[in-house]
Amino acid sequence: MRSRVLAVLALAATAAFLPLRAALAQQGQGGGPSVEGLADTTYGCVACHADKRTAFVLGVHSERGIKCHDCHGGDPSAFALPAAHRGGFIGAPSKVATVTLCGSCHSNPDRMRQFGLPTGQLAEFRTSRHGRLLLLNHDLNAPTCTDCHDAHTILRPDDARSTVYPTNIPHTCARCHEDKRLMAKYNLPTDQVERFRRSAHGVALFQEQNFAAPTCVGCHGSHSALPPTVTEIANVCERCHQLVGYAFNRGPHARAAQTGKLAGCLACHSNHDTERVPVDRITAACARCHAAGTRAMTLGAQIQQSALQATEDMRAADSAIQRLTRAGVQTGDARFRYQTALTAYLQIAQAQHSLNLESLEELTRRVRSISRDLRGSAEVAEERRWEHKLLLIPVWFLALASVVLAWLTLRRLERSSGGS
Amino acid sequence: MRDIRGAVARWATQFWADLKSSTDAGFLSVLRFVGLLYGPIDARLPITEAFRKALGYRLAPHVSWRHALGGIAYLLFILLVITGVLLSIHYRPSVQEAYPSIQHIVSDVRLGWLMRDLHVWAANLVVLAVLAHMARVFFDAAYKPPRETSWLVGVVLLFLVLAFGATGTLLPWDQGAYWTVSEALSGIAGIPILGGLAAGLLRGDPIVSGATLSRFFAIHVIVLPWFAFALLVFHFTMVRRHGIAPPTHPPAQPAEASGRPFFPNHLLRSFSVAAVVCALMVTLAAFWPRPIGDPANPSVLPDSLIATWIVVDVSRALIHYLGAWGFVGFTLLGLSLALVPLFDRGPERDLRRRPAVATLGAVFFLAFFLLWIVGSRLRAP
Repeated sequence: MRSRVLAVLALAATAAFLPLRAALAQQGQGGGPSVEGLADTTYGCVACHADKRTAFVLGVHSERGIKCHDCHGGDPSAFALPAAHRGGFIGAPSKVATVTLCGSCHSNPDRMRQFGLPTGQLAEFRTSRHGRLLLLNHDLNAPTCTDCHDAHTILRPDDARSTVYPTNIPHTCARCHEDKRLMAKYNLPTDQVERFRRSAHGVALFQEQNFAAPTCVGCHGSHSALPPTVTEIANVCERCHQLVGYAFNRGPHARAAQTGKLAGCLACHSNHDTERVPVDRITAACARCHAAGTRAMTLGAQIQQSALQATEDMRAADSAIQRLTRAGVQTGDARFRYQTALTAYLQIAQAQHSLNLESLEELTRRVRSISRDLRGSAEVAEERRWEHKLLLIPVWFLALASVVLAWLTLRRLERSSGGS
Repeated sequence: MRDIRGAVARWATQFWADLKSSTDAGFLSVLRFVGLLYGPIDARLPITEAFRKALGYRLAPHVSWRHALGGIAYLLFILLVITGVLLSIHYRPSVQEAYPSIQHIVSDVRLGWLMRDLHVWAANLVVLAVLAHMARVFFDAAYKPPRETSWLVGVVLLFLVLAFGATGTLLPWDQGAYWTVSEALSGIAGIPILGGLAAGLLRGDPIVSGATLSRFFAIHVIVLPWFAFALLVFHFTMVRRHGIAPPTHPPAQPAEASGRPFFPNHLLRSFSVAAVVCALMVTLAAFWPRPIGDPANPSVLPDSLIATWIVVDVSRALIHYLGAWGFVGFTLLGLSLALVPLFDRGPERDLRRRPAVATLGAVFFLAFFLLWIVGSRLRAP
């Protein structure tokens, strides 16, 4: 009897541990480098450089069958020194050699075509500030390919762990550009990332995860990284802000920017902060360059007045829609008209960059007329709500009259029954 | 010729007699249905005399204004049926049309606003009226034998009223309706064992959607009314069968047949109450219409919810101040009150001699009222 109990217990214990073992085995296969990969006994490099292999197998190069000796040379069939480090072994390539080494594949269209990858990185790098410092001045503070992309764990740019994933790019750049000692040598500031984080672009990128927002490389370029020159700035911003750029190019500021007298968009919006100019601060922006009382300042004040008026009209239109909704009116048409007004309002923000007061006032008028209509409809709807209360007069008259009649009848009934 | 005329006259007389008896039978069944008529009527008398005799019974002398609460609840129920039917003519239970159809009712349909706001207000006040009626029955110990069936049927009717309100909450299909129901269904899904299944069946989709709207509409206008009518008939029949509960302090010498006759005296008094209640309802509807929020949008959480149903306010206050367990506790307290007649069967009816039951009831009814006041203050964002 006892042996039977023991046998059942043993069976139960085995049954309990089987899934655990299976789970452990699965864990080994799933996350991280595979156990078999590390235990590859036919590849000599792993005998000493297991840590490099661990990093390498995470990346895309490992997936494509590239091996250690494809970049580093040497004899992977040997398991001991010095035999392993023979046969064109280059060890860790220098910063300059790294550029050529990566370029040997990544500049070759015949090799990159199959992956749909561009091949201009090396040519672009040569034109960049980083490339010129490294390749012409042999300044070893300048980054090479592996400083931004890592040497062994090369991940795809859409992999969230990658150093060049959109939300990681600012931190990758900041590794050097926030280093005060290093940047002092090049007379560069170190607060760019901090300012970028607070900017409209930074908020869109980090808080809203909006990858349409530019990171550092959006304006500076990645492999061809350079700060845009004064005359280039407007073109850089216009790549995304096309309608604003269109208006700007038609105004007097564009001519000043083309001749380098005005730092393009930066003059009002700054660079890494990408400050918005609030509607009530337009003249303050003008005053940075223009003296009080000048024709330009008067124009600025008129533009600010138009924009303020339109903002107020939009607010009134929005509250009119809410009043209509509360009054229970169908608001489909009103909302459509509101969208029309909103389109004109957004065009005001663009059109003011042309400094053309006429086109601005035309848009302001459109906003004002729609806003006035909507407010009128809201008032009509509210008035109708008020008229509902007039119904109370007949209702209460009937109710009270019937109560009085009922009581009179009751009194008559009770008197007659009391009498009888 | 004379034969033909005689045949037509005989046929017409027969037809008139048939029509009259069928109308009488229909009228009788309506009167029985609403509990006015109970037991057989005197077949030897002309019909009008028979009615007068059947309806002329006298009520107990202690029947007073506080006994009107049940009648007010019934009046509000009738008001809900009438306004509900009128609303259903214009309302369309689909995702695309529900919200515009409400706007159409309020802004285009003649007196549509009145129908809708009366419906909303009656849906709120019927809960209060039913609870007040129950409190009266509870503190009068009117649930004691032989009237415990009436009490239990009444409790089921309360749940029906709550089910009516809960399913009706979704129908306006605005943000407030959508997210209130979403939250409530998430709460139901959190109930252990059967909660997930129940929420899934009610929702009919991974999120509140057109499938949910159809289900709620069908339950609101088709399923629940049948149950409500059947139970109301049962409730009224029970009330007539056992009569109004005797006073808690019986007078020294019982005054035989000293009460008011039901017809016409009591009915006239009821009519006055009904007139005032109806006028009050119109006043509430005209002064405090139910606002229409933004259209339901599953991908946007609103900043604030417009609670339009008293039970939502009470639940919100409970969850805000006492957490989910407070809500569960209060529900259990309510349920324990519903089951009181199964345990409290002794003949003692004086409130001072049943302190435990009295305290329990006072806590529940007072707390419900206070939570409603507090919950409606929580509406602001």
